[in-house]
Amino acid sequence: MIDFIVYLLTMIAIWGILSLSLNFQYGGTGLANFGHVAFFMLGAYISTILVMLAGLPIPLAFVGGIATAALFGILMALPTANLQQDYWAISTLAAAEIVRLIFLNQSLKGPYVGAQFGVGGIPRPLRELFSVETYGYFYLTLVLVCLGISFAIIIWLTRMPFGRALKAMREGDEVPLALGKNVRSLRIRAMALGGALGGAAGSLFAHYNAFIAPDYFLPLETFLVWAMVILGGAGNYLGALLGTVVVQSIYNSTRFLDDLLPIDASLIGPLRMIFIGLLIILVILYRPDGILPERRRRYEA
Amino acid sequence: MIQVVLDSLVRASELSLLAVGLTLVYSVLRFPNFAHVEFATIGAYVALFLSSGLGFNMVIASIIAMVVAGGLGIGCDRAIFARLRRSTPIMLMITSFALGIAMREAVRMFGGPSPYFYELGLQRPWEVLGGRLTPVQAGIIAVACVSMLAFHLLLNRTKLGTAMRATADNQQLAEANGIYTERVIQVVWFIGCAFAALGGILIALDTQLQPNMGFAIIIPVFAAAILGGIGQPYGAMLGAVILGFAENVGLSIDWGALLSHTGLVSAQYVYIPTGYKAGIAFAILILVLLVRPRGLLGAKAR
Repeated sequence: MIDFIVYLLTMIAIWGILSLSLNFQYGGTGLANFGHVAFFMLGAYISTILVMLAGLPIPLAFVGGIATAALFGILMALPTANLQQDYWAISTLAAAEIVRLIFLNQSLKGPYVGAQFGVGGIPRPLRELFSVETYGYFYLTLVLVCLGISFAIIIWLTRMPFGRALKAMREGDEVPLALGKNVRSLRIRAMALGGALGGAAGSLFAHYNAFIAPDYFLPLETFLVWAMVILGGAGNYLGALLGTVVVQSIYNSTRFLDDLLPIDASLIGPLRMIFIGLLIILVILYRPDGILPERRRRYEA
Repeated sequence: MIQVVLDSLVRASELSLLAVGLTLVYSVLRFPNFAHVEFATIGAYVALFLSSGLGFNMVIASIIAMVVAGGLGIGCDRAIFARLRRSTPIMLMITSFALGIAMREAVRMFGGPSPYFYELGLQRPWEVLGGRLTPVQAGIIAVACVSMLAFHLLLNRTKLGTAMRATADNQQLAEANGIYTERVIQVVWFIGCAFAALGGILIALDTQLQPNMGFAIIIPVFAAAILGGIGQPYGAMLGAVILGFAENVGLSIDWGALLSHTGLVSAQYVYIPTGYKAGIAFAILILVLLVRPRGLLGAKAR
């Protein structure tokens, strides 16, 4: 049981970084990114490739994964200027699927590594310093530190003029343009930053799970991150973390619901997704600002 | 060569039914409905249940499945989307994504994860101009053509069609002219979802039924609808035909021989690996969005 809780907390922390980064893009900037899983996937794969094929040490590979994801964020941001919000959202979904298709078709080393077989045996950082039991605690501490750093960076940025300009852009381009802000460059920077955080989460996941496969990075994962952000409250970073706790708990609940519920184990998998789907619909219908709505500053008229 | 054309036509037929339905719902509600493809899955499974389970004739089973899917579409609109008429397109997209997942997993729960087939017996393919076409595939093309023709007549020769076009064009103006737009929206959901169900049944006839069959084609369907100009039913048909041909022709072209004419590369037998077939639709989608986001038949932004 304690092992499961440590595992669940680690997953919550990793996905917490993801939902912070989507919240920064959507809640903080108004960029409806439906291909968010691409950052996660690039962070995971590039970091793995750099360690296992290029032989780089894990910290350097971690940075490489972050940099690649950030670059991809810039690439995704380029067409925003000419596209309506909903069209851009569809294009991001397609972009993420193209990346997944490449990893699905490209074998990495020999015939059974990469492609649809996935990559196994990904080295875990400082594994030899800990026993099997204590390593879980070490990794949990590591991801919590990363989550804390991400949270601090985002809160710091949103309080800077940069973050306020992003927030103004969310409500429409007119105000930032009138203030002489370069909205294109602001969007590119927001996507790069969100991409970097998503890449960090992906790298942390790959080196924790020690196995990655293209099936881990379906559009479904993007939806889960969206569910976390919408549930918690778009624009509110504590809300995004709360949403992560709720969604990840439901998502991982199969392990113990198996023993508690008198239904067939194969039904619990679909049931939890139906539950998450309906939960999001209900939240949008009855509490569209989420559990913790964003606190908007009021000004005297 | 003929074989490629025949395969493309079958694919275009399947895509057209889904793309027209998607674009129709978009034309009146102004949001891309991610749950649209799930109505194809539900329709295919309902038809399977009726034909293999209860012994209905396949044609009757298909018609009932279309009505069920259409009714389900209206039900989803009443229960969910009607309350969100004033929401942003992004919120509606998330809602439809959530609904789509709930629908897909519901199918998985009742149907199980393993694939099914319609009981059609062994199909002896016909020789058509040197290519092979099974009777079922010929039927798929015929059904899609008849559906598109019927839809064309509905849109242009009936009062309902005029009301649909008016609502898509300008909802407030349509209301001012005494059109009950909420009723039109319900009709649009019914037609869109019934068409999606028929498309799903055709795909299942051609391949197999599985819970992911709808979501697997979401990008080609969106690509076809956007390529033709989203909200434009005829554009969606054109987009489906182009997509169907692009996917099949793209794989059968020897790009090495083609490009060696330019003098830049000298190689032969360079084909797109079949694993990247889905990538053709993705690439077209992104390219269209970058170059001509209004689509081929899209109206100028007002």
